[in-house]
Amino acid sequence: MSTSAAAQHAPGRAPGEGTAARARGLTKAYGAGETAVLALDSVDVDVARGRFTAVMGPSGSGKSTLMHCLAGLDTVSAGQVWLGETEITGLRERELTRLRRDRIGFMFQSFNLIPTLTAAENITLPMDIAGREPDQAWLDQVIDTLGLGGRLGHRPSQLSGGQQQRVACARALASRPELIFADEPTGNLDSRAGLEVLGFLRGAVDDLGQTVVMVTHDPGAAAHSDLVLFLADGRLVDELARPTAERVLERMKRLDGERAERLDDTRGPGAARED
Amino acid sequence: MLKATLRSFLAHKGRLALSALAVVLSVAFVAGSLIFSDTVARTFDRLFASTAADVTVQPKRDLMAARASGAVQTLPASLRDEVARVDGVAAARADVQVQNLVVVDRHNRSISPTNGAPTLAGSWYPTRRSPVELTSGHAPRGPDEALLDADTAGRRKVRIGDTLTVQAQPGTFRVRVVGIASFTTTNSGAALLYLDPAVAGRRLLGSAARATGISVDAARGVSDERLAHRVVAALGTRAATYDVRTADQQAKSAAAALGTFLDVVKYVMLGFAGVALLVGVFLIVNTFSMLIAQRTRELGLLRALGADRRQVRRSVLTEALLLGLVGSTLGLAAGIGLAFGLIGLMRAFGMNLGAAQMVIGWGTPVAAYVVGLGVTFVAAYLPARRAAAVSPMAALADAEVAGAGKPLRARAIAGALVGAVGAAALAGCAAATRTGPAAALLGAGVALTLIATVVAGPLLVRPVIRVLGAGFPALFGAVGVMSRRNALRNPRRTGATAAALMVGLALVGGMSVASASMSASFDQQIDKRLGADFTVQNANFTPFTRQIADRVAATRGAGLVVAQRLTRIAVRLPDGGRVETGAAGYGPGLDDVVHMSYARGGSAAALADGHLALDAGFARDHGVRLGSVLPVEFPGGRRAGLTVGALTEQSATGGFGDQGGVFLGLGTLERYAPGGQDSALYVNAAPGTATKELRPRLERALKPFPQVQVRDQSDYKQLVHDQIGVLLYLVYALLGLAIVIAVLGVVNTLALSVVERTREIGLLRAIGLGRRQLRRMIRLESVVISVFGAVLGLALGLVWGVCMQRVLALRGLTAFAIPWGTIVAVVVGSALVGVVAAALPALRASRMNVLAAIAHE
Repeated sequence: MSTSAAAQHAPGRAPGEGTAARARGLTKAYGAGETAVLALDSVDVDVARGRFTAVMGPSGSGKSTLMHCLAGLDTVSAGQVWLGETEITGLRERELTRLRRDRIGFMFQSFNLIPTLTAAENITLPMDIAGREPDQAWLDQVIDTLGLGGRLGHRPSQLSGGQQQRVACARALASRPELIFADEPTGNLDSRAGLEVLGFLRGAVDDLGQTVVMVTHDPGAAAHSDLVLFLADGRLVDELARPTAERVLERMKRLDGERAERLDDTRGPGAARED
Repeated sequence: MLKATLRSFLAHKGRLALSALAVVLSVAFVAGSLIFSDTVARTFDRLFASTAADVTVQPKRDLMAARASGAVQTLPASLRDEVARVDGVAAARADVQVQNLVVVDRHNRSISPTNGAPTLAGSWYPTRRSPVELTSGHAPRGPDEALLDADTAGRRKVRIGDTLTVQAQPGTFRVRVVGIASFTTTNSGAALLYLDPAVAGRRLLGSAARATGISVDAARGVSDERLAHRVVAALGTRAATYDVRTADQQAKSAAAALGTFLDVVKYVMLGFAGVALLVGVFLIVNTFSMLIAQRTRELGLLRALGADRRQVRRSVLTEALLLGLVGSTLGLAAGIGLAFGLIGLMRAFGMNLGAAQMVIGWGTPVAAYVVGLGVTFVAAYLPARRAAAVSPMAALADAEVAGAGKPLRARAIAGALVGAVGAAALAGCAAATRTGPAAALLGAGVALTLIATVVAGPLLVRPVIRVLGAGFPALFGAVGVMSRRNALRNPRRTGATAAALMVGLALVGGMSVASASMSASFDQQIDKRLGADFTVQNANFTPFTRQIADRVAATRGAGLVVAQRLTRIAVRLPDGGRVETGAAGYGPGLDDVVHMSYARGGSAAALADGHLALDAGFARDHGVRLGSVLPVEFPGGRRAGLTVGALTEQSATGGFGDQGGVFLGLGTLERYAPGGQDSALYVNAAPGTATKELRPRLERALKPFPQVQVRDQSDYKQLVHDQIGVLLYLVYALLGLAIVIAVLGVVNTLALSVVERTREIGLLRAIGLGRRQLRRMIRLESVVISVFGAVLGLALGLVWGVCMQRVLALRGLTAFAIPWGTIVAVVVGSALVGVVAAALPALRASRMNVLAAIAHE
C-alpha cells in the first residue's frame, strides 16, 4: 500500500552520523533456573542516528522487551546498552528517570496522555516535570507540523484517537530528544488515522532530523521506516533496508516457516541464526 | 451468588479493613462504656448493699446542700437511745461522718485525694459491714488518735506514729495516726479518717450531742422493712424531718448519687462512640461506593449472566453485613480492652476496682452488634442500590469510573433546601431572646446545616479547591497542576472523603469559638465587677473552714475582708413557680470588693437583714417587684419570707444551673442556713499597704491551709480560663478520634485512586516523573483534600460558634471572640493529616513497576 511512499523516503538520505543507541550482548531473562524464559538472547543492535527504524516480529519475539531495554524502562539480565555515548546499563533508578525525561521521547499504543491535563500541558509535560522552559519556536513548529493548533486547550477525552496519538507524537518531539520510541503507535487507530501518525513520524525524521524506533507487527506500518529489524525468539534474525509492505510481509512469512521448522527440529529456541 | 459475595469480600479485604476499623472504633466505645458503667455500678451496688446498716435514720435531705455550703446536717445523738428502745432493734449507733474538712500532714500538704473525691472523717465502729478493717496498729482511743485508710496512707506516705492536722469546721486539732485500716471492698477513691466515737461528735460537729445519722441492726427474725416502719412509728411526728431507710433503700440512694458521676463518664464515652459512628459512616459509604465503581464491569458481567437487580443489591448488602459482623466482634473485644483501660485509669485516680470482676451484661453484645451491623447496613444501602442499577452493558463498555460525571443537580437541590432550613433555624437562634427556644433552634440548625454541607460538599469541591490549590502551579509546577486536578477529578469522592474530617472540625470550631467567647466574657466581667485586690479560694470552688477568714483578717496590712458563702434555696415565685437554685451570701462592704450594678436599690438594701436581691430580668419574667416578699426554703427545712431589697442588672448569673442571681446578706444566710463554710474571700489591702507587700504576707499566713490559694485579678482570670479549658480538652480528645478515622478515610480514597490511576502513573514514570515527584503529587492531593475538609468544617463551626455565642449572650456572656490561634493550628494540622494519610499510598505508587503499570488493564 505504501511502496511508493517508502521508496521516496528511504533513499537519498545520508546515513546518520554514528548511532543514537546500541546494545551488545543484550540478554533479558524472566524467572530463574529451570523455568527461566529468555526474552532477549544476546542481541547486538545499532540504531542509526537520524533514521527511522522499525522492529518487527511475532508476539513474544521480544520486540517490546528490546525497546524497553533500549529506553531504560526495563533492566537487563546481561549485556550493555548505550544511549549516545552514555552507558545506561548500571545507571540508578533516579538517573534513568532523568535520562528518559530529558533524552528520550515516548509514544505508546494507547493511554498516552494524562486525562487531567490539556493537550498543550501534555505536550510540555516532560519539560514541566524537569522545570525547563520549552523552546517556543520549536514547539510552534512541532504543533504546526502535527496540525494541533486548534486543539491545544482540549482535554484528551475531547480528542479523537488519532488526535490523541498526534498529541503524544508532539510530546515525544517537544523536548527534541535524542531518540523517540514508539510502541505500536498505530495499534489502536483506524487505517486513515494510522497513516497520518506514520506520516508524522516519517516527517519527524526527514524534516526535523529526529531518530525514531518503532515497534510494530503491521508490515504496512513498518514499510514507512528506513530499516526493519526482525526479531524471533529473542534474537535478531534479519533486517531489511528500504522496505515495502510486500517485502516485509514476504520476509515475515519466510521467517515464520523457518521458525516452525526449527521448532520441529530442535524443540525450542537457540538454533543458529540464519542469514 | 453467596459464593461470589464471599469471594469478593475476601478479595477486597485490604480496603474493607479500613472500614472495619471505623466500625471497630465506634463499637469499642459503645461496648467499653457499657461494660465500664455496668462493672462500676455492680461493684458499688454490692459495696453499698454490703455496707449499709439494716435501717438508717438521717436528717432529711431536701435540698442538695452538703457540698455547696459546707454545712453539715445533723440530728440529736440522743435519738440513738430512743431508737434503741424500739422493739426488734438489736443494736443502734449514733454515727458521725463529715466531709467538710481538710487533713494536712506535717509539711502542710493536704492528704485529700487529688481527683475531687472527698475526705471523709467519722466515728470508728468496726462491724461486719464496715468497708475497712484494721490491719495494723490499734483502734483510736481518746481525742488525739486516729485511723487512716491504707490507700491514702500509701499514697501520701503517712505511717503509724505520724501526726496529722485536721481542719474541721469546729476547729483545727492534731491527731496521731495509731492504726491503718485496709479496704475489704472497692475503694471509691475517698480518703478515710476515723476517730474514737466518744470524741467524734465534739471534734467534727462541735457538739457531743449531735450526730449525722443513726445506724440500726435488726434483731434476728425482724425484717428491715418492718423495723423501719416501727422506727418511723416511734419517732411520731418528728419522722417527717428524718429519712428512715432500709439497707436496700440506702444502697439505692447511694447508688443513685454515684450514678450521676457514672452517667457523666457514660455520656462522654457515648459521645466518642457517636463521633466515631458519624465519621465511620462516611468512611463505609465511601469504601463501598469506590468498590462498586471499581467493580462496575464485574457487576455488569453478573447482570449479563442473568443475576437480577435484587441479587446484586443483596450481594453488596451481604458483604456489608459481613463487614459489620467482623467489625462488631472485633469492636466488642476492643471494648473489653477499653473497659480494662478505664478501670485502670480509675485506679490511677484512686478508685480501686481491683477486686471487682468485669461485668458484661447481655445488653453489651446486643448493643455492639446492633450498632456495628446497623451502621454498616445503613452506610452500604445507597451504594448497594447504585450497584443494582449497573446495566449489563457495563460489562462491555470501557471501565470509566462511575459517578464521576453524573450531574450533581439532585444534591444541589437537596443541599440547598436543607441548608436553607438550617440557616433559618440558626438565624432564628441568633435572633431569639429566650434561652430555651434559642437552644432548641441551635440544635436543629447545627444538625441541618451539617447535613446540608455533607450533601452539598461535592458541589463545593471545585470552587474551594480551585482557590486552595491556586498557588500549586507556581509552587510545584507540573506536579502541583496535576495534584490539584486530581483532587477535582471526582468531586463526589473528594467531598465524601473530606466530609469525615469536616464533621470533627466543625464541632471543634464551634466549641472553640464558644469557649473563647466564654473566656472573653468572664474576663470582661472580672474586669468590670471584681474590685478586690485579692481573692482567696480554691480551684474547685469547694468551701473551706472559717478559720481561714480569721487568719486573713488578722494578717498585717489586710483591710476589708468580705466572705462569700453559698447555699441552695428554693424560692416560691408570685407566678406560682418554684425555683431551686444556688444563692450567695455576702458580708458587709460588698461594694468595695465587687461592683454590682443595680436596676433598683443597692447593696445596703440587698444585704439588709431579711432581704435578698434578684436579677431584674428574672424578676420581670416571674412577676417579682421591689418589695415583694418571697417564701424561701433553706436546707434543713427552715423557711423564711424574704423581702426583695434590690434588683440587679447582672450581665451573668452565678454557676451553671443557677437562676435569678439570688444573693443576700451573710447574717440572713447564717440565720436560716447555719454552719456553712466560706467559698471565697475578697480581700483589700488596708490603706497605706501596697498590694505587693500584702500578697506574700497572705501567702505566708495561709501556708497551713493548702486548700486555698491567694489570687489577684489576673490569677483569677487564669483560674476561670483553666476551668473552661477542661471543656476544651474533651473537645480536643473528640477531635483526635475524628481525625484518626478521617485519616483512614483519606488513606482509603488515595489508595483507591492510586490503583485506578495505575496506567497514568506508569506513563508519568515512563516519560520521566521521578519517584519523589510522584510521591509529592499524591501528597499534595491528599493535603488539598484534607485542608478542604478543614476549611469547610471550620467555616461551619464558626457559624455554629457565632450562634452558640448568641445563646450564651442571653445568659449574659456577651463577649465574642474567635480563637485564631486554634483555627490556624487546625488548618496546619489538617495539612499534616494529609501528609500522614498520603504516606502509604504514595509509597505504593512510587514502588510500582513502570512497565507493569503501563500494561495494567
